[in-house]
Amino acid sequence: MSGPFESYDDLDDADERLQAADPAERRVAIIALGHSGDPAAVAHLAKLVADPDSGVRQQVAMALGEFDGPEAASALVKLLVDPERIVAAAAADSMAEFKDPACAGIILPLVKHAHAFVRMGALRALRELRCKDTLKPALEALQDADAAVRVQAIGVIGFLKLEESIPALTALINDPDAHVRRAAVSALAFSQMKPAAETITRALKDSDWMVREMAAETLGLNANGSLAADQLVGSLADEFWQVRLKAIRSLGRMKVERAVRPIGNCINHDQANLRKEAAAALGEIAHPDGEAFLVVIADDPDPDVRKNARWALQQIAARKARAGA
Amino acid sequence: MPLASYQTSVPVVVDDAKCIADKGCTVCVDVCPLDVLRISDMTNKAYMAYDECWYCMPCEADCPTGAVTVNIPYLLR
Repeated sequence: MSGPFESYDDLDDADERLQAADPAERRVAIIALGHSGDPAAVAHLAKLVADPDSGVRQQVAMALGEFDGPEAASALVKLLVDPERIVAAAAADSMAEFKDPACAGIILPLVKHAHAFVRMGALRALRELRCKDTLKPALEALQDADAAVRVQAIGVIGFLKLEESIPALTALINDPDAHVRRAAVSALAFSQMKPAAETITRALKDSDWMVREMAAETLGLNANGSLAADQLVGSLADEFWQVRLKAIRSLGRMKVERAVRPIGNCINHDQANLRKEAAAALGEIAHPDGEAFLVVIADDPDPDVRKNARWALQQIAARKARAGA
Repeated sequence: MPLASYQTSVPVVVDDAKCIADKGCTVCVDVCPLDVLRISDMTNKAYMAYDECWYCMPCEADCPTGAVTVNIPYLLR
């Protein structure tokens, strides 16, 4: 046998400890099996999914997270529907670590479970499996009555990165729950197509600032994001500095020269983070008009702001030198 | 490293009633990057042997029975 257990006697010994009358002793044996990393331990752990002690079941759920594959997934599926929330939560956390697509078939039936927590845990586990079979159930879960389930379904779709899911994600921009709208905007980041950029641009006007913040950030990652440059410049006047910060970052990344003055107007903001991003963006754009704003923060009390300002001034000087050459 | 003189005066406090180190558990001792936790020879429970803590928290997070509490100083919160 390969792995930390030298012989079958070691596992038999572990089995004996797993049957100890004291739950604490069973927990210690479970921890040792989990740390072993030996795939042979999974079968031994699976025997304890119906242990009468909820702490032991919780420990089994945590230990199974050290492994991957259908055998461990089968055991965790039973623990995810455990009536004790601590057990189910540990199972959900462990399942979310799995990467083997072969687990998908075992987890998928739970997407239609009666309890929202189980549906949520199952979808969360499916996310990183990146299995195309999960797209249809995830799209159906977008209609779930529970917003947290819809958020997890968006996660599955976002990880799959399939253009065919764009219409469904676009429709969620009108979802009544802000967390769902924010997740949908974030998921659209994978698409470099114009429709995705248009949807994200609409989200810049969302009533919730976190959705607007995500939209401002995501536009900077979209190849067609520059089409929304005017709207992003408009976001520089947003009442939340978090939105303004992401808009500055995206405008800098897109090198939008007409944004130099609006970004420069943010250079005296109370938040050092905002001043730092404004300096960096002016450096990325490297337009000579940014120089006047950068000089103002050359002696900023925050060292990161001063550093970005110096770098930005160097970028502008380099551009001037190239233009003169 | 300074020795911890009183267990109640150190950041990492272990609830002996919940600690299962006497059953063979060594999770908190194993995860501590500074190796400041020990199993007491007298009580067979975990305790903070050296008063040096980075407040990195795995001892509290990984304790299977929730016996470990890390008291983070006010100025670090």
